Amino acid sequence: MNLAQTWFKQKGWKPHKFQKDTWNAIKEGKSGLLNAPTGFGKTFAIWFGVIQHFADHAKPQINKLHCLYISPLRALSKEIYLATNRVSADLNLPYTIELRTGDTSMKDRTKQKKDKHQALITTPESMHLMLAAKGYREQFSNLEFVIIDEWHELLGNKRGVQIELALAHLKSINPNLKVWGISATFGNLEEAKEILLGPISDNTEIIKANVEQTININTVLPDEIAQVPWGGHLGLKLLPQLVPIIEESKSTLLFTNMRSQAETWYQQLLERVPDLAGRIALHHSSIDFQTRKWVEENLHTGSLKLVVCTSSLDLGVDFRPVNTIIQVGSAKGVARFIQRAGRSGHSPGEKSNIYFVPTNSLEIIEGSALKDAVKHQLIESRIPYVRSFDVLIQFMVTLAVSDGFDPDALYKEIKSTHAFQSVTSNEWQWCIDFITRGGQSLKAYDEFHKVVLEDGLYKVTSKGIAARHRMNIGTIVGNSMMNVKFLGGKQLGSIEEHFISKLKPGDIFWFAGRNLQLHSVKDMTVLVKSSKDKNGIIPSWLGGKMPLSSQLSTSIRKSLTTYKEGGKLNEELKKLKPLFELQEKVSHLPGSDELLIEKIKTREGYHIFVYPFDGRLVHEGMATLLSYRISLLSPVTFSISMNDYGFELLSDQDINIEELLDNNLFSPDFVYEDAIRSINSSQMAQRKFRDIASIAGLVFTGYPGKEKKTRHLQASSQLFFKVFEDNEDNNLLLLQAYDEVINFELEISRQQAAFKRINSQKIIVTYPTKPTPFCFAIMVARFREFYSNEPIESRVEKLLKQIEKK
Amino acid sequence: MQLELAGIPFILLTEKALWRPGTSQLIIADIHLGKASHFRKAGISIPADSVLEDMRKLHALMKKYRPAEVILLGDLFHSSYNREWHLFEAFLESFNDIQFILVKGNHDILKKNRYEIPNFEVMDTWEDDLFIYSHEPMEHDSKFVLSGHIHPGVTLTGKGKQRLSLACFHISKNQMVLPAFGKLTGLYILEKNKSDTYYLIYNDTITEMK
Repeated sequence: MNLAQTWFKQKGWKPHKFQKDTWNAIKEGKSGLLNAPTGFGKTFAIWFGVIQHFADHAKPQINKLHCLYISPLRALSKEIYLATNRVSADLNLPYTIELRTGDTSMKDRTKQKKDKHQALITTPESMHLMLAAKGYREQFSNLEFVIIDEWHELLGNKRGVQIELALAHLKSINPNLKVWGISATFGNLEEAKEILLGPISDNTEIIKANVEQTININTVLPDEIAQVPWGGHLGLKLLPQLVPIIEESKSTLLFTNMRSQAETWYQQLLERVPDLAGRIALHHSSIDFQTRKWVEENLHTGSLKLVVCTSSLDLGVDFRPVNTIIQVGSAKGVARFIQRAGRSGHSPGEKSNIYFVPTNSLEIIEGSALKDAVKHQLIESRIPYVRSFDVLIQFMVTLAVSDGFDPDALYKEIKSTHAFQSVTSNEWQWCIDFITRGGQSLKAYDEFHKVVLEDGLYKVTSKGIAARHRMNIGTIVGNSMMNVKFLGGKQLGSIEEHFISKLKPGDIFWFAGRNLQLHSVKDMTVLVKSSKDKNGIIPSWLGGKMPLSSQLSTSIRKSLTTYKEGGKLNEELKKLKPLFELQEKVSHLPGSDELLIEKIKTREGYHIFVYPFDGRLVHEGMATLLSYRISLLSPVTFSISMNDYGFELLSDQDINIEELLDNNLFSPDFVYEDAIRSINSSQMAQRKFRDIASIAGLVFTGYPGKEKKTRHLQASSQLFFKVFEDNEDNNLLLLQAYDEVINFELEISRQQAAFKRINSQKIIVTYPTKPTPFCFAIMVARFREFYSNEPIESRVEKLLKQIEKK
Repeated sequence: MQLELAGIPFILLTEKALWRPGTSQLIIADIHLGKASHFRKAGISIPADSVLEDMRKLHALMKKYRPAEVILLGDLFHSSYNREWHLFEAFLESFNDIQFILVKGNHDILKKNRYEIPNFEVMDTWEDDLFIYSHEPMEHDSKFVLSGHIHPGVTLTGKGKQRLSLACFHISKNQMVLPAFGKLTGLYILEKNKSDTYYLIYNDTITEMK
């Protein structure tokens, strides 16, 4: 009997088919990707394959690392650590597992280095840190397995690129390394496998668990549609409808999209349903780690009735008592919606229950779209990062810090990864040049001569540079956060510097579910005391402006068409009927073959609203691109606003849109070229460059506990950006910033698809005299972009004239 | 742009400086030299281009106006000593027939011996019969005050939610605040006051906003 059979028999359990399949595949020496949802024993599916290999092959006297288990989340790591050690104990197997995350102390790390353990559970960042330690080859000389958990989470960001690089390097130590990824379902699984295992790998397999859970989707509808505002984003109007749902559930997670929204909901729920006190908690990424841990523990034991949270609880260990999920506002994507729904119903025989709460009336349509998308399993793809030279440069310095690298060998390694397979030898030489001499622009500055060539190996010889580099390993560049503490010393969490800088001592604000008064700010710590004043401001955090996914926007257009063509109406569409009728009356309700444009004149100026329903990122790009095309004819200045359904171009002059349409304003030709030209003058690439400069080690983000203020970071990365643009326009980091804007900010492929679609649609222009149900939310949005190609002189002149009139 | 302050002609320069033809004085506020190197010391590397640009601008002004005296209205140097000070020393040396007067600002914290240069003098304030030259703005009963410190700017707003922020000279009662000269300095946006005058600077133009 093998280990798995013994253990499952001991427990009286029966393995799933996918578990047996995985064990067999591992036994055959394959690498692969396991596609399984959480809570069905996906870890065991891999784990018994690993320890069976150990039992069959390993010589017990060699006590070296046999398996690396990479998990993006600390909470999950801990769970896996406990579960796998329990297996070893149950089977009396000499296989010990250690845990190393960012929380592991220096002392424990040194101990781990000396200790003999067979497996290590760690994060992508800690894995790179290990590669930055001298003698790492010895440590990994017996490594047989690397397991990447939650690959779907890592794939869509630069942590995925970090994994690709580390894997390629580990394979150079052991060419027979077996790599297994574990992933939830998404649109491009086959590609995900290829990225994880390398484009030229054979003997690989995707194993699908086929144990999907059923999801009950309900939209929380107002009695009358007028009960919900046209332009809201908080969703509080529907709070009364939620009270019975919460009361009838064992335990509920209420998800909001932004931390400020979570704070507001927590406050309002306590105020309006006072007997929730003591049974309700708040959980978001700015709340102190210890408090979050407390909340999670109490969710496990079932002593919390309701937790208001953000994406901070999207992932992680399952809470068995939770049987209801409430999603306030758009979930923005089908995958995310399913993921959140899946946080409920983990007790045997239970289903996932999710309630969608629209925050404005038009958003009700998303309930209809989500049901349709989930039914047809229209799940988003994850777009992988490629050619992230910032991560590559960081990795090169990492290897130079430890034992040095041979340039030809390393070039071969990186060429075997999906992310860097297209890197040319010239580009590779540029990277070498950059880490040794600071490249063309920075050669005058010693601090960028980080790496030197010694006996054919590139090495970092300066201790200071090495220490600084180790501290900055990683690809997550956060906004600078300040600790919030009571005067007595109790830690409350962290808050963005940006918010605090707008407050004065004595001001009241609401944070971590409490009313606080700002006492003073010292370095990066905010000292506060409790306040009874009810009118605190709620911190607004940056971010939280996730765009609607392409799958969800397609489904929304589909729902609109169903209504328009008189198809069978679900409860959401029935509820929307009065709103749609009004829209039809004052403007027009577009069908799938139509694009609606509304022209409205108000005291603010001349508004043009366009409704492609393509998500806010595509709209932002499209709006800038159209501004550019319009500005080619005559100088113009636009204030741009958008949401997930449409966008607005606001100008001080009347734009003859009809004539522009005749001149092919929406032409699908040259979309890429025009997009690049239109952003040339904008700040987007510069914003992207901030992260790139930090990852590539151009700006030092600071020693732990003494983080630089982000404002300074911004200033200096901006200067680098300018220097590179002026002196070195083939700088790969600069080009990367533009590529990232094109692919991730403008979502160019989605944009091209949108222009193509629009070109086949009939364009309908209406001239409403008042704001319509469609345009209202866009019109009142506070965040605006800006486009101008008018000479500054004429803008000043016009503005001054307006002042004189007043 | 030409105007009269306390009955004396002055010229507002688009380089964000003030020219007093009668006494041949060039008046400049808030250069904040050394800021780039200050950041670099803190681990943030700013290429020195911004500094060079400020120095080039200074050079050009000197050549164009050939002043007898240059009055620096404080915050000449951003921080404690760093190598950028040498740039300025060299600059002083190349104009050694011209007297430079620094009216000390809150940022001017260099040790006294750094200032021991023949054609360079440091004071807390400086005045003549009609004018007081000061770093920080102040009210005076009889004399007109010229100062810096504020980094004044105005935001213009208009139709179509347009916004535009520009540096300016700010005149109120009997004083004027000069715009900050340095490239690495921010703007402090002023609340508009009807009785004050604002001269907006953009590109090569200065325009009055009432």
